[in-house]
Amino acid sequence: MDHLLPPEIVEAGRAFPVALAACGDMDALLRLKGTFVGRDGSHVARLMDLLKTAPKEQKRELGAAINGFKQEWEEGLKARQTELEAARKHLNALADSWDPALPPPVPMRGALHPLNRLMDRLVEVFRPLGFHVEEGPEVETEDHNFDGLNIPEDHPAKASSDTFYLAAHPKLLLRTHTSPVQVRTLLRVAPELAKRGGIRFLAPGRVYRKDEIDPTHSPMFHQVEGMLVGHDIGMQHLKGTLEYALRALFGPHTEIRLRPSYFPFVEPGCEVDVSCPLCGARGCRVCKGSGWVEILGAGLIHPNVLTHAGIDPAQWSGWAFGMGVERMAMMLSQTPDLRLFFENDQRFLKAMGGLD
Amino acid sequence: MWIERKALAAEIPAAAELDTRELCEMLAALGFPVDGVAVREGTEVLEVDITANRGDAMSHRGLAREIAAKLGRPLPPIPVPTADGGVPSVAVRLESPACPLYCTAILELEEGPTPREVQSFLLALEAAPKRLPAVDASNELLHRYGHPTHAFDADRIQGAVSIRWARASEVLVTLDGVTRTLAAKDLVIADEAGPIALAGVMGGEGTKVTESTRRVLLESAWFDPKTVRATARRHSLHTDASHRFGRGADPAMAAVARDLLVDRLRAWCGARLQSAWTVGSLPGPAVAVQLTEALLHRIAGEPLPLGESAEVLRRLGCAVEAEPHALSVTPPTWRHDLSIPEDLAEEVLRLRGFEYLPSNLPPLEGPPEPLSQAYLQRQRLSRRLAHLGFHQTVTYGFISPDMDAAHAGSGNAAEGRTLANPLGQDYSVLRGSLLPSLQVVAEQNLRQGAREIRLFELAPTYVSAPTGPVEGFTLGVVWGGTLGGEDYLSKPRAVREADLAGIARELGWTHLPEVRALAEGLFGFELPVAGLPQDVERIIPAFRPFSRFPAVERDLSLLVDLAQSYEVLATAMQAVLPPEALQDLRCVDVYRSANLPVGQQGWLMRMRFQAERTLVGDEVDGWVSAALAVAESLGAKLRA
Repeated sequence: MDHLLPPEIVEAGRAFPVALAACGDMDALLRLKGTFVGRDGSHVARLMDLLKTAPKEQKRELGAAINGFKQEWEEGLKARQTELEAARKHLNALADSWDPALPPPVPMRGALHPLNRLMDRLVEVFRPLGFHVEEGPEVETEDHNFDGLNIPEDHPAKASSDTFYLAAHPKLLLRTHTSPVQVRTLLRVAPELAKRGGIRFLAPGRVYRKDEIDPTHSPMFHQVEGMLVGHDIGMQHLKGTLEYALRALFGPHTEIRLRPSYFPFVEPGCEVDVSCPLCGARGCRVCKGSGWVEILGAGLIHPNVLTHAGIDPAQWSGWAFGMGVERMAMMLSQTPDLRLFFENDQRFLKAMGGLD
Repeated sequence: MWIERKALAAEIPAAAELDTRELCEMLAALGFPVDGVAVREGTEVLEVDITANRGDAMSHRGLAREIAAKLGRPLPPIPVPTADGGVPSVAVRLESPACPLYCTAILELEEGPTPREVQSFLLALEAAPKRLPAVDASNELLHRYGHPTHAFDADRIQGAVSIRWARASEVLVTLDGVTRTLAAKDLVIADEAGPIALAGVMGGEGTKVTESTRRVLLESAWFDPKTVRATARRHSLHTDASHRFGRGADPAMAAVARDLLVDRLRAWCGARLQSAWTVGSLPGPAVAVQLTEALLHRIAGEPLPLGESAEVLRRLGCAVEAEPHALSVTPPTWRHDLSIPEDLAEEVLRLRGFEYLPSNLPPLEGPPEPLSQAYLQRQRLSRRLAHLGFHQTVTYGFISPDMDAAHAGSGNAAEGRTLANPLGQDYSVLRGSLLPSLQVVAEQNLRQGAREIRLFELAPTYVSAPTGPVEGFTLGVVWGGTLGGEDYLSKPRAVREADLAGIARELGWTHLPEVRALAEGLFGFELPVAGLPQDVERIIPAFRPFSRFPAVERDLSLLVDLAQSYEVLATAMQAVLPPEALQDLRCVDVYRSANLPVGQQGWLMRMRFQAERTLVGDEVDGWVSAALAVAESLGAKLRA
């Protein structure tokens, strides 16, 4: 029958499936549709014109052939259109969806300084026992820093080789410990001590000593001081409180050990060791194999300290302790160099300080 | 202080039965922690830490006394023949109360070395032997028995010896070769030509014992601790002798040490005693201290039988008399640290062992006190800033004058905040501002490759005042580098001043903060913490009604001068808008482009209205027109 049809259309019809498959988008498909089945000038239009002019006896046969072509092309185009539409739909859906594994925008996270965090933690530990926080200035008088603490007139700590003094104010110094807060607080509460039923507080803060800057020394560091004044306070209360606090800090299996020592502002005085929190007292580099780590100094308040503040030591007694925050932070974190705490590298702060 | 185990066991044989670990633990439990153990000269030595109040323990004998008391074993007496006798050939005069007792002797020396075992003993303690018997014997006695002695070359002493205060500007060359100008409060040993030794601290070069010395004058005295401490400090001359006299030597040991020294020199090198004598007398006996049963009970936390406590104190050398419910205790001559009842209670507990102390929480006698608002405010501020992405720094409170001058502000003179004895110029001024320290930290971080740096510090800054620096807690914040661009949704941009202003506002600072450009792309501000709002006392604030009717938003796109003040324009617009309906008025976009007329910029002003009724389009139009009119009156134009 094909000899009745123009050879180029027969050829195009043969190539149709390939052309159809080559249509990658709707535009190409519409162009192909125009070429084959469009209203004007398409292959189908030309065949229909041919049919009109064909001899009568050929019309039936030719018509059937033309219909065959038309049907094949129309169905092919429609099927391809459905395919293309589905593909587009799929792409559209993909374009609207995002791989959840792509890195999301994360709010910048800051950090508290590790030393402050440690001090905060200490305050938190003592809060349930009724301790509040007292603070005092860093620029102190000799009286508060030394004399009120039963530190003798000629104590070596008073020397300008150990303590920073102000040039324009020879009686003012940078406090060498947080103990002057004891003196200030006792002086303040002395008149109302009976009414308030004693006092118990922590004094966290920065202190200064004339040490050169090296891996284990710093001219500025932090201490947390604790003090309690009440009736009939003895060593058992110091031990009981520290046992509670150090267990809250280091874990319920922590043991503490008191050793006699000497500080002018307490009597009796002691050093307090804690069973090594890093090795569980089995012996390690930090506790030098002993299973114990020295953590603070403490004792019962020297009667002269109470008397200086106007508190009768025959009626009132108490205990005090002081601990070095850096020392504890370095021990707990195994930080090899004290200077890291004052260098404030953001990476160090983020890793060591963090946020609650 | 170094302690040789064999020498310790020679004083208290029971110590030989303890292994090193047991001995270290016993010493620590007595208050003398051992910092290290070493082997030198084939013998074990311990580095023992002795607290400043225990001069009596700074010798083998001293620690042996402690161990004997702890173990309840007797301490064998020191073997020494008495050396008194002969005719004093030099006059010795005590002219100051700071030296009440001076035991001395004159010996003629013969050739002879310091025995090998004594040299080894000294070497083991890191005390270099001089191979001069008079010097080495004195040194050995110091370490073994704790009493410092001295030997002078008797032939170099001119005339009588006096122990007196130095005269101002007298000069002495001490054994270390240093020429020292003396102060009137220095106690000296002097002959008729002048000072020959700093009493209790160091001998003089001119009368020192040498290989050619034929006659020695020995000194074994007791000097006032305060005087010795002051002289040692004044001359920065801290010696074995000054440490012991400065903490209080045992006056009863003066004669014993002199006799021991004589005995050693006779034995070692056949020295002949010419005469030995004592000037002055022992200081009066110590005052008895009363330890009551009640005080002991209070400190120990449990009742302790007085009889047992008396026994413990006797073992420490105290004379104890029992009284009803109390003990009257006279400390021994070597203990200068037992002056109040609490000292005695400590001794009883120390010898028993602190491990036997009971453990109790102290009862609450009054209501606990809340944390102060100022403290809580700083805690909240820190946490708020950390949650906003800022890192808390801790930097030194003193900085260099140059850095300080840049930010301290006028009227805050550095002189009033300057240290007399700083570590160096860079650490000499108590800072008037936190920004210099924060800038250093920020720049250091950026150099280390940080893409963005957000820091804050909460610390005191200082303002000079006539009575001394006044300190107030200050918040310093710095922010720099590149913001965003680290994920597929945000675009990178440089940090701007406005970012910092936003933080200040977020913290409740209502004024415009003074944001400083510290370096390229690095900004900072600081605020007095007291100027930031504190949390109100109420847990939940009082209820304020809010509208549930729909809100209406209108934008006005204005063309304004580049020099237009935002505050002036916004205030003027706000003034003509109905306060009961205006919820918010703000500029939400600034447009600057070459397409705009020269000297002009675009501000997109957004107004948000809401009231206790549904707003009608016409009335809102009216308000917006009024706002536009007032903006136009200030020179603004509606953008086409």
